[in-house]
Amino acid sequence: MLVLDQLRFAYRGDPDPFGFSLQSAPGEITAIAGPSGAGKSTLLDLVAGFLQPQSGTVTLDGQDLTPLPPEARPVAILFQAGNLFEHLTAGNNLALALPRKTPDRLASIARALAEVGLTGFAARRADALSGGQQQRVALARTLLLDRPILLLDEPFTALDAETAAAMRALVRTTIVTRRWHALLVSHQEADLTIADRRYVMKNRRLFPAPAA
Amino acid sequence: MPLPANSRRLWPGALVAFAIAGLIAALLALIWSARGLGTAGPHPPDIAHLLRMTALQAGLTTGLSLVAGIVLAWALNRLRFAGRRTLVALLSASLVTPGIVVAIGVLAVWGRAGWINAGLAPFGLSTGPVFGLGGILYAHLLLDATYAAAVLLPRLDTLPATRLRLGRSLGLAPLRRFALIDWPALRPALPGLAAVIFLLAFTSFPIVLILGGGPANQTLEVAIYAAVRRDFDLGAAVALALVQLAACALLVLPTALFAPAAIATSAGRTAFWPEPRPFAALAIVLLALALFAFGLPLAAVLSALPAIAGLFGQPAFWQATVTSLAVATPSAFVTLVFAYLVASARTAAGSRLLKGLIAAPASAYLAVPGVTLALGFFLLARDLSIPVSTAAPLVLVLANTLLALPFALSILTPGLAALDRRHARTIAGLRLSVARRLWAIEAPALAREIGLVLAMGFCFSLGDLSVIALFGTEDFQTLPWLMNRAMGAYRSNDAAALAALLLLLSVAAFLALPPLAERAARARA
Repeated sequence: MLVLDQLRFAYRGDPDPFGFSLQSAPGEITAIAGPSGAGKSTLLDLVAGFLQPQSGTVTLDGQDLTPLPPEARPVAILFQAGNLFEHLTAGNNLALALPRKTPDRLASIARALAEVGLTGFAARRADALSGGQQQRVALARTLLLDRPILLLDEPFTALDAETAAAMRALVRTTIVTRRWHALLVSHQEADLTIADRRYVMKNRRLFPAPAA
Repeated sequence: MPLPANSRRLWPGALVAFAIAGLIAALLALIWSARGLGTAGPHPPDIAHLLRMTALQAGLTTGLSLVAGIVLAWALNRLRFAGRRTLVALLSASLVTPGIVVAIGVLAVWGRAGWINAGLAPFGLSTGPVFGLGGILYAHLLLDATYAAAVLLPRLDTLPATRLRLGRSLGLAPLRRFALIDWPALRPALPGLAAVIFLLAFTSFPIVLILGGGPANQTLEVAIYAAVRRDFDLGAAVALALVQLAACALLVLPTALFAPAAIATSAGRTAFWPEPRPFAALAIVLLALALFAFGLPLAAVLSALPAIAGLFGQPAFWQATVTSLAVATPSAFVTLVFAYLVASARTAAGSRLLKGLIAAPASAYLAVPGVTLALGFFLLARDLSIPVSTAAPLVLVLANTLLALPFALSILTPGLAALDRRHARTIAGLRLSVARRLWAIEAPALAREIGLVLAMGFCFSLGDLSVIALFGTEDFQTLPWLMNRAMGAYRSNDAAALAALLLLLSVAAFLALPPLAERAARARA
């Protein structure tokens, strides 16, 4: 179980702290909605470890993740943009998700690319890909990281409707079969349809929202 | 979309650029026409050896400075500590630290009677002579490696936070982090930086003069000086100057392809990703080593400051101080005016060709180094029968303005261009005059850069030894010239005290002027 227990965080000089509490069972996608500036990305940064809460904890199956730096947390993140190293090929970007001595690296990379519909793109430099293709490579790498907490920040915005639907289905299947936890932040109603639970940010607090 | 070229901004800068080009062309023509003087001195120059030595020390300086600069920038980027901002500002000050001061610092620490040998003497040990290629390289590193670090550090400090977050979320190991995130940010700056450092070392004068230790380690610049001042052999000086010009011109051509390497003008809040403990410890060790190697000579120079009181009774000291300040202050303002006009014209120019034509003369120092430029002025004064001491003040201001101009341009141009990109349409809509645009918009927005350019013009002139080396007389002395004479007369205490004063004045101007200009702009806003 992923538990955010009374996390409190305030930016410097801001007297009114954000407050977050939620639970996510294995294999569940939790969607967080709310207007811009409501604190959705702050929530993801706290779970990822980029921000340290003033109080409260983040635990996964009873293990307290709060004191861990970002690089030590079992978290994979897909940002809205800027996920790839532009000077590397798609394949080398994916290779960053694999330990150096992984057997069948090339096969793993090819499989991951095939899952996002980019078979044969391994040798293309990232800066030669379209925005949507870059985002799909980034999604492939995020899944390849094989980490039990997936943070998705507006992940499908750059994609056309058809590709976005396919990628949503891929994320949904992966989360359910691997029994991971996903926190999904999005403005798009279509993205929220894959969520098992929905929350909404209002007045700096997280409230459960009725499922659609 | 860029607006059409604004001729009111274009012409003044273009005129300045073409006036500079005309002046340099005239000086070069003078040097060229004087080649018939022939070599008549007691020591005909070995040009092949001089070229080899000059290129060797410049090449080694460049390679070592880049490596040390990258290491220093890396270590500083990975650490946060009280005083970091001051240390970073001091790194940038390396560009204006007079070479003669650094040479004296190196002697004060590593010389036969220096701190290290004084400490080793009771054990019967010594470090060996500091004079020669090793001493030259060390002194060059003090200036150029810190300059490299000052150029490279902002590239690491201003890496997008999203890039660091991505790296952290992927759990990149330190070496992979450097290869994937740091190196791509550093790499584009390296060719331009290498070219500038190579040229600075190729045309280095006071350090080679003081630490060269004899003809074996002489470079072209020092040989020109020796031909004029020691051998009274103008023919040899002219021949050497022509070789120097040809070599520099060959080097400048590829340099012109690279963007100028600008130093940091401000240190805002930056994203921070600490290294794992062993690498953080490595960064601390490297920084401590750098502080020891780079800071000790400067500390040794400053420690001689109390001895300055011993100079108060000497009229020559007061004369040199007044002359230095009287030359450095107008140099600062002329540098600012020229740099602003040329940078504005370059920004307003419509085509790339015109931009290049306007900027090229302002970078002339690259092709015409200080001593060579001074030789041209020297010949001009001689041809016009103007006494050297009469021409000297004007030549000093003009020559040092030309020397500071490329660096001043690399500071002002990006800011002006950015303002233009953001606000050109608004300014055009308001129909502001050039003066009002400068006063109301550009000066407040670029106050820090303006302060930095003023400081640079002031410091370049204050610490100049290249030009004064040919123009200095009993009647016209500056602080570096007085220091050089004190060293020649083995009055090392006086030389050290003067070095301390020069260092203090340079660093104080460099650290104080940018924030002062910023404060003045804020008060007016």
